[in-house]
Amino acid sequence: MTDIAPLLRMQKITKRFGASVLANDCIDFDLHAGEVVALLGENGAGKSTLMNILYGLYEPTEGTIEFDGIETTFRDPAQAIEHGIGMIHQEFMLVEPFTVAENLLMGTTTLPEGAGNLNAARRLIREISADYGLQVDPDARIEDLAVGQRQRVEILKLLFRHAKLLILDEPTAVLTPQETDALFEVLNRLRSNGHAIVIVTHKMHEVMAISDRVAVMRSGQMVATVKTSESTEAELVRLMVGRDLDMSVDRTEPKQRKRALELVQVQVEAREGAKATPPATLTLRHGEVLGIAGVDGNGQTELIETIFGLKDAVSGSITLEGRDITALSTAERRAAGIGYVPPDRRGVGALVTLSIEDNVILGASKDFTQFGLLNRSLARVAADDVISRFGVKTPDADFASGNLSGGNLQKLVLGREVSRDPKVLLIEQPTRGLDVGAIELVWGEIIEQRNQGAAVLMASTELEEILALSDRIAVMFEGEIMGVIPRDKATTALLGAMMAGRRLEEVAL
Amino acid sequence: MRVSLEKRDTPLISGWSVVAMSVLAVLIGMVLGGVLFLPFEASPWEGYQSLIGNAFFSKRGFGYTLVTATPLMMVGFGTIVAWRCGFIFLGFEGCLLIGAMGGTMVGLGALEGGILSTSAPALVVTLALIWGATLGALWAGLVGELKTRFGGNEVLIALMMNFLAIYLVQYLVAGPWRVVGDMPQTERLPKDLWLPYILSGTRLHAGFLIALASGVAIWVVMAKSRVGFEMIASGLNPRSARYGGILVGIRQRQAALIAGGLAGLAGAITIYGVHHRLLDGLSDGTGFVGIVTALLGRMTVPGTAIASVLYGGLSVGGDAMQRQTGLPSSIVLIVQASIVLLLLATEVLRTHRIVLSGRRKV
Repeated sequence: MTDIAPLLRMQKITKRFGASVLANDCIDFDLHAGEVVALLGENGAGKSTLMNILYGLYEPTEGTIEFDGIETTFRDPAQAIEHGIGMIHQEFMLVEPFTVAENLLMGTTTLPEGAGNLNAARRLIREISADYGLQVDPDARIEDLAVGQRQRVEILKLLFRHAKLLILDEPTAVLTPQETDALFEVLNRLRSNGHAIVIVTHKMHEVMAISDRVAVMRSGQMVATVKTSESTEAELVRLMVGRDLDMSVDRTEPKQRKRALELVQVQVEAREGAKATPPATLTLRHGEVLGIAGVDGNGQTELIETIFGLKDAVSGSITLEGRDITALSTAERRAAGIGYVPPDRRGVGALVTLSIEDNVILGASKDFTQFGLLNRSLARVAADDVISRFGVKTPDADFASGNLSGGNLQKLVLGREVSRDPKVLLIEQPTRGLDVGAIELVWGEIIEQRNQGAAVLMASTELEEILALSDRIAVMFEGEIMGVIPRDKATTALLGAMMAGRRLEEVAL
Repeated sequence: MRVSLEKRDTPLISGWSVVAMSVLAVLIGMVLGGVLFLPFEASPWEGYQSLIGNAFFSKRGFGYTLVTATPLMMVGFGTIVAWRCGFIFLGFEGCLLIGAMGGTMVGLGALEGGILSTSAPALVVTLALIWGATLGALWAGLVGELKTRFGGNEVLIALMMNFLAIYLVQYLVAGPWRVVGDMPQTERLPKDLWLPYILSGTRLHAGFLIALASGVAIWVVMAKSRVGFEMIASGLNPRSARYGGILVGIRQRQAALIAGGLAGLAGAITIYGVHHRLLDGLSDGTGFVGIVTALLGRMTVPGTAIASVLYGGLSVGGDAMQRQTGLPSSIVLIVQASIVLLLLATEVLRTHRIVLSGRRKV
């Protein structure tokens, strides 16, 4: 394969933002027809920048791009598509009320031959769909399609426009395990049909499963390009992070095992139009991590927000160390010792336009107040403490929190909640979108809290995470708790069945 | 030659760039407005000279400028509180009029035969200002209540309530409170009830000091206090604020009360410092121009105070220019509006630069 000239040759690509940020530093990147290359790297390593340069969203500061033997730079994505380079972003660009065929025709200035009208386009879509095993109905409305199907529509959109090179940005982030398998089958077909594919990712097992070669980036540089078959997960992690990782979890015997939080027949407020879910009963003890497993959107957030007082409980009671807190406000529950790390860090967990210091005040503004005025020096000390204790990478506490990377922002939010020594820590999707280095730190802190005697209620859609951290595991399906089991009794198969809606009693027998 | 906008790698955020761009916007606005002098065969240069000279460089004129700036400032400070709390209030005109009405109500009670006729003047004025502020606060508080409790649209409700206030004042001065005479207005309040003039040879009254004091108070609340922090958090992102235990609805209602109270106080001050009676057309858009000064002052207290003085100066200077040279003061209003638009346009230059056929410029 190396004998033939590559389809794409990016040489000495350098991209600077302003004077100080070097996002890409003299990067070489080749791609051949008929191969899948995984572009691997932590957040902020420069993967997206490199792909955006290729796709015409950024102009490189230096370097050349050769595509199909011709030197080019694309002014915008439209030009890149015209030349046969297509990119699928994490957020799909589809108009929901329109059909698949309408979405494909929309905005296409250079229609493929014989696709001039809707009927011909439909026929062509069916053909392509059959060729690649995409199973997409041209007349289906996007809003009726599942996430995995929508992604296939995006792929179809690129094939429809004769894309030779497909870039997929974190393609599996929103998929179930089954959908991921289906996607990989499609990618295999594309490969055997001579397409070149780049998948941008930081999930190691996917890299091993689908790619021919792996290009590893770290802090703006291309550190290695290796054949997947000649490498191991451990070696790739080392290349990506620059050191060995310790993901093992140190559990010690907790100091106390008393009941921390008790939910008795708590009826969660139903979403508008949704039917009411059965009431939940749950006990959380000090010194344990109770994991809530479940596919995203099965009532985990609603339950936790009810515990935190962001939603009212319709009926039932919530007690914290024997004290009924059902009627308390969020502020009062915080003061009583409940902390919460929400799944949406930027939209809920932090005030992104304000400084780190202001964000450390959030949730405990009373503690920083004297005679009605904020005590800024007290807040600064607390902010500096969070920064140093959790290794938040920032120039100082005045830095706008929204400009922190995802991992650093999560460290800030988690650090703030933990620094108040909560009796109960609620945490949702603790490592969503984080790179391995940050995951290591967040996991370590959750276990540290548990060992210190805090009661941790952690909802995660990542089974791996649930199994690694939990002492007990509850599974939620359509707002209902399907059962609670100790970790050593839990298997992936058992949890999977419960996540699909079967009760523990039905499965365990 | 091709002109295009290109995104800056790092946006300009320094204070100096803001000052430079603001000055640039003012100059361009004045040059554009200058064209309007030409049909009168007048020199824009002399026109502006008369305008600026009258507004800022004569003692009497500058006094008027500060008098005009006083209610603008207070409405501007109210805007800072309400808007930064996420309460997009446009009802200052109404609050101001209701405050003026409340203030007059107390003053009329001090006339002969009234229940306050034996009270000390200082007490009457104090009561009048407090009552004006209270009515203004309640007027805005009603809008806040409707928004936070029932999800009403604060923009629409406030605008409609402005009309209510305007016609209520019109009704009072034309009917129940009308004094004998040709003009629809109330009886003039006795001199001992007027706010004292604080600079001899000018009409500058003590209300200006009240405005400055309210500015300091608002600055402390918004920049230094817990209440202000929670208000700003509520305005930036209500979901984050609720997550942080902040009672967003209550903070917004408080913001409405403060904003309306400031406008009501400004209305009462206008009665006791300037007109000394309630009359139709008393506010004439002050409640809206005050919002503009807050926007021009970039939602900061000192910026709003400066913008109010400049805006007040342009109005005063424009009137003087019209009297002296016969040029229409509408030119000044056009210049004012152009400057506002240009200032908003300079926002783009903070994140983008203008590229002229390859050569880079600001």
